[in-house]
Amino acid sequence: MSTASISAHLPPRPWRIRAAVLLACAIGLLIAAVLGAILAAAAGEPTAPMRADIWHLLRMTSIQAGLTTILSLIVGIALAWCLNRLRFPGRGLVVGLFSAAIVTPGIVVAFGLLSVWGRNGWFNRASEALFGAPIGNIAFGLGGILFAHVVLDAAFAARVLLARLDAIPDARLKIGQSLGLGPLRRFALIDWPAIAGTIPGLAAIIFLIAFTSFPIVLLLGGGPANQTLEVAIYAAVRQDFDLRGAVLLALVQIAACSLVILAASALPPVPTALGPSAGQRWRDRPAAQAIQWLLLAICLVAFVAPLLAVLADGLAAGFGVLGQPTFWRSAATSLTIGSGSALLSVTLAIALGMGRAATDIPLLRTTLGLPVFAYLAVPAVVLSFGFFLLVRNAGIAPGTAAPFVVVVANALLSLPFVAATLGPPLDAIARTRGKLIRSLGLSGSRQFRAIEYPLLGRDLGVALALAFCFSLGDLGVIALFGTQDFSTLPLMMYAALGSYRSNDAAAIAAILLVLVTVAFVGLPRLLERLAHARA
Amino acid sequence: MVNVTRLALAVLAGLASTAALAQDKPTLTIYTYDGFASEWGPGVPLKAGFEETCGCTVNWVAADSSIGTLRRVQLEGETTQADIIVGLDTAVAGEARATGLFADHGLALDNLALPNEWTDAQFVPVDYSHFAFMHDTDMMPEPPRSFEELIALPEDIKIAIQDPRSATPGLGLVLWVKAAYGDRAAEIWEGLRPHILTVTREWSESYSLFLDEEVDMVLSYTTSPAYHIIEDGDETIKAALFEEGHFPQIEVAGILKSSDQQELASQFLAYLASPDGQKVIPTTNWMFPVVDLGDELDPVFATLPQPEKTLTLPEEEITANSRAWIDEMLAAVQ
Amino acid sequence: MLVLDRLTYAHPGQASPYAFSMEAAPGQITAISGPSGSGKSTLLDLVAGFLAPTSGSLTLDGRNLVPLPPEERPVSLLLQSESLFEHLSAERNVGLGLPPGAPDAAGRIAQALAEAGLKDIGRQRASTLSGGQKQRVALARTLLRDRKVLLLDEPFSALDDHTRTVIRALVRELTERHGWITILVSHYRDDVEALASRQYRIVGGKLEMA
Repeated sequence: MSTASISAHLPPRPWRIRAAVLLACAIGLLIAAVLGAILAAAAGEPTAPMRADIWHLLRMTSIQAGLTTILSLIVGIALAWCLNRLRFPGRGLVVGLFSAAIVTPGIVVAFGLLSVWGRNGWFNRASEALFGAPIGNIAFGLGGILFAHVVLDAAFAARVLLARLDAIPDARLKIGQSLGLGPLRRFALIDWPAIAGTIPGLAAIIFLIAFTSFPIVLLLGGGPANQTLEVAIYAAVRQDFDLRGAVLLALVQIAACSLVILAASALPPVPTALGPSAGQRWRDRPAAQAIQWLLLAICLVAFVAPLLAVLADGLAAGFGVLGQPTFWRSAATSLTIGSGSALLSVTLAIALGMGRAATDIPLLRTTLGLPVFAYLAVPAVVLSFGFFLLVRNAGIAPGTAAPFVVVVANALLSLPFVAATLGPPLDAIARTRGKLIRSLGLSGSRQFRAIEYPLLGRDLGVALALAFCFSLGDLGVIALFGTQDFSTLPLMMYAALGSYRSNDAAAIAAILLVLVTVAFVGLPRLLERLAHARA
Repeated sequence: MVNVTRLALAVLAGLASTAALAQDKPTLTIYTYDGFASEWGPGVPLKAGFEETCGCTVNWVAADSSIGTLRRVQLEGETTQADIIVGLDTAVAGEARATGLFADHGLALDNLALPNEWTDAQFVPVDYSHFAFMHDTDMMPEPPRSFEELIALPEDIKIAIQDPRSATPGLGLVLWVKAAYGDRAAEIWEGLRPHILTVTREWSESYSLFLDEEVDMVLSYTTSPAYHIIEDGDETIKAALFEEGHFPQIEVAGILKSSDQQELASQFLAYLASPDGQKVIPTTNWMFPVVDLGDELDPVFATLPQPEKTLTLPEEEITANSRAWIDEMLAAVQ
Repeated sequence: MLVLDRLTYAHPGQASPYAFSMEAAPGQITAISGPSGSGKSTLLDLVAGFLAPTSGSLTLDGRNLVPLPPEERPVSLLLQSESLFEHLSAERNVGLGLPPGAPDAAGRIAQALAEAGLKDIGRQRASTLSGGQKQRVALARTLLRDRKVLLLDEPFSALDDHTRTVIRALVRELTERHGWITILVSHYRDDVEALASRQYRIVGGKLEMA
């Protein structure tokens, strides 16, 4: 199908394109303003020689992020494949738990990993008890970073890919099953085309997360040898107060990330299947099923065990923290911030995604794809300083602005994940139902109410859950804004850790994890039901 | 959907506006790091204690770290609302002083009880402790008694330290090694390298690794065992004393020149360094007080073993060389 | 002869189960009609093996088909849409009818395409074919699979009148030539009248000879 022929089938939606372009420009301007404010503040400072070896950092970071991406995609595809084929009680909960990893604060997951895989973890203790010798410490160094990243990112990849696999039309599965396709040909002919369109965007996101990963690299990296550009930027800003150097490093990071994003978003859209299929059951051969169960079991041990360890540590610590008024205040703030950012993020993703789906001009599609990644490309510490300066330059007290800044920043933070969830189906609707929509002469709003909203129901739920949970977990951006009364659960957890109160921290981590999992299992179902009621 | 959005905005605005109450009394705005102002930290009782007499409102503003408070004031310059910064330490005092943002405190401070004499015109000491490596007597009954003994241990003895660029104890260790070994510092770092399991961003992360028994020793403070004895009744966590002597961390507070409440700020610092203010410090910030509290000091603190020798480095030397020393450390452990 | 004898199935929550009894002969087209929701697709799913009956029998020339999984049943499918893998060429779609590594695959594919009335489009992607061409490709694949039973689910509904007539003729011709037992599900009276040697209608969950 030629590009021109698709274009003719797309309903003309100039307002959607305009709105998306406007939003893209606004986000671009915001980033430029952040960097500009920092540079302006640095104008008076003496120039210090740059300490960081940029090329070394770029190389190390790229190797780490590249390996993370490849491993995460392989594991993610395998996991999605298993979950798509297997049916068992608690499958929904397992899917929810897998997705919970990526939105749980990195440090919580890292400590969960250590509880299982560390020197004093479950496996080493078990091995010592059974065989008299530990299996060694695999959780540190580059291996540790990769392992932790794969746990986080592969589970996320699996969640996204599973949604695509579950949406394969029944008719296609019937034909495939009646043709007697073996597991390999089934994957190549039916599964791969269904997920191929999602992979470039997913790869870009995973690469960027790993490229900019911070707490995990610092905790498990083992030392300055395994560093990322983001860590160097942090050092330049915080330790050396070298603002100009920080902006320079940030620009390097933005450039490197943009290359990845451009490469991913320049690819032509691939139509994706929509909505869950009627639940066609087609089991693979026993041998393949055995492999699927085995893979699933390995993934459960590797991915879910660390999260269970977090829960177990929380239970062991007791929930005395529930008696503290600060806890409830922090919880209320977290939920408010989470809901606000989730709504904003989903709105942004839909607006940008609809604009992108409404056009076939490659340059425009790329431009509208870029702002989604703003937060991943711009280091959090730079955003933090820049937002702080912007707010002050606007004459607003930082304490007053803090909640709004957190909502905006967290919406931007979750935007890539939300857009990756909503973008492909929006594109698919425009491409597969475009003709029909056009011929019926549906207006843009009817197109949304009658077609996109009902079809997107479950994806919308997943997107809201993602954005909500991400926003529970991140606060880096208001590092400087601090006010006495503004606390969230993660912030309270860090404060508890910093005051020797590891029991309180463990309890909060467990509560966060439960919250995140409930949101992940519940929100998609809720939204699907709502959307179906509309349809 | 609209209603939810409106509700959320209302709650957000409510959260934002709580800070803007109580305008009739003068407000003393103090920047500090998060732990100091936290629910469990000394900020809460200090605020209550000072407000009893001052006829003012104390407003703690917590950045994510002590260096963060300085950076925020540097960014804000003359327009800062801060009257006081609490929580910088002697390792960064020189850099802070060089910004020219701090005023003289004008206090006599003649009843201090610090390892060394205190003569600082701008900064008032808040609390102190010596940096030290913790060990668990169950796991490691015989801890090393010097850096060299630590280095000589088998390589599977692991320690966790903090990044000197982000955590004050991390910087403290760099200064400690430098003060103890001078030109041999790089050699010591190279020797430590195989023992370093990881270099964390924050103190709390290393310390959690230690509590989870992922490492045998962790860089912390000689006062850390007090928490475990007092709060958990656990006497197995101890600080290993090194023969070279230990480098102290002395947390300080300073008044900003830009403050329009110099008098009130000065009163607060006097309160902070008085026995009344100091008595809340040990069991909230888990550091030694800077005055002799006599009976008011929890007896556990008196039982903590203390180093025989306190190492020091001249402030000018720290300010001039800390970057180079950090680079030396990073290169050696890389 | 394909024989259904009180082949019974109920969807979850369905009050009175379907119970299908019918016979279909080789070389003939047997049509099933009935309004939407009457159970036409359920019937096809039972025959193709996507649903397992609760009771009753399904036999082909006396051989019990019920225990066989879909891929082992002597059944080919032709659906209204999604019959082809759109990202593959016509040839490769047809080739899926052969077991992997079958001898002289290229020649047999070309022959099947020719028999289905297609020339020179073998290398074209399925997504670029017209509706009629797609159904011809699917029929060509059926030829290679060489299964006794062909199930047609509204196969002509997406086609224009002319193409429809031509494809209908092709189906009848292939059915007669290869002795297929072809079952056509359609609610187009036109299709049914033009093709069927025997007609059934679903009424109240049961098949009635029309």
